[in-house]
Amino acid sequence: MATIHIVPFVRASVSIFRDMLDLEVRSGETEEEGDSFVSRGFTVIVGFTGGWKGRFFLDMGGETAMHIASSLTGESYSTFAEEEVLLSGAELGNIISGNAITDINNNNPGLNLRLTPPSVFAGEDLSMFNVRLSSCSVLLQTDAGLVKINVAVEEGNK
Amino acid sequence: MDIKYINPFINGLLNVCKMLGMQELKRTGLSKSEKLQTEHDVNIIIGLVGGLKGNVVLSMHEATACHIASTMMGGMPVPQFDLMPKSAICELANMVAGNSVSNLQEIGSLVDITPPTLISGKNMVSMISMVETLVIQFSGAEGSFDLNIALE
Repeated sequence: MATIHIVPFVRASVSIFRDMLDLEVRSGETEEEGDSFVSRGFTVIVGFTGGWKGRFFLDMGGETAMHIASSLTGESYSTFAEEEVLLSGAELGNIISGNAITDINNNNPGLNLRLTPPSVFAGEDLSMFNVRLSSCSVLLQTDAGLVKINVAVEEGNK
Repeated sequence: MDIKYINPFINGLLNVCKMLGMQELKRTGLSKSEKLQTEHDVNIIIGLVGGLKGNVVLSMHEATACHIASTMMGGMPVPQFDLMPKSAICELANMVAGNSVSNLQEIGSLVDITPPTLISGKNMVSMISMVETLVIQFSGAEGSFDLNIALE
């Protein structure tokens, strides 16, 4: 799949990480993924439909998720299963995808993308599987740890 | 959440499952989920956008998923939860969502769905849509599973 789908999401992530979380993104590597990928333990999922159909994943380790939640709320957490950590992750996913979608819709009149509410999954040995979607990932290096952005878009609908 | 939006999902699921050969499937329970923990290791999530906004999640155990995949393919044995049953279960969720959405259209609500995504793992904690989730339990010859509906 073309990387054009993921670029707005990367741009939104970098600016949100910098402005909201005070985290500088040092480097990003692109990876082509097949129809599945293995999570680091904490994943935020936001779906979108419209001219493109697919999903946006924000994937990170539990430690990174707790670090991000702490910088949002100012409190410290002992486990990533705490409700506020999940809520912070969901909100971050919502903000990033909201920004990216606005950017995409402004640059592509008529595409009219819309988002589903975010969902958060955390646990051991998580793996994601998308049928008939091919995806592309960018691995971002931040001070809080590695964060993977994955965008999966339905084939034939480009 | 309006209860009139729930029945189209229940009927959609029962229709599709009957069509695929799961004859003994019955609705066994209905509850509101307050806690976040899911005890099931296979979750298929489909997003809804339009007249209704939210997520629908089918969750079940790996063994149930294998049994359902086996029934869907006319009784072919499915010993392992690999690519094939994953794909079958995703397709089931897609058909259930599609059927439910056309039921919703009959009551005047236009909804669009996102493609299904399957998430599997152990000791999972999940939060769907940041809203209260309605959990509907189903049980049949293949095992039991839950349909979680979270509408904003």
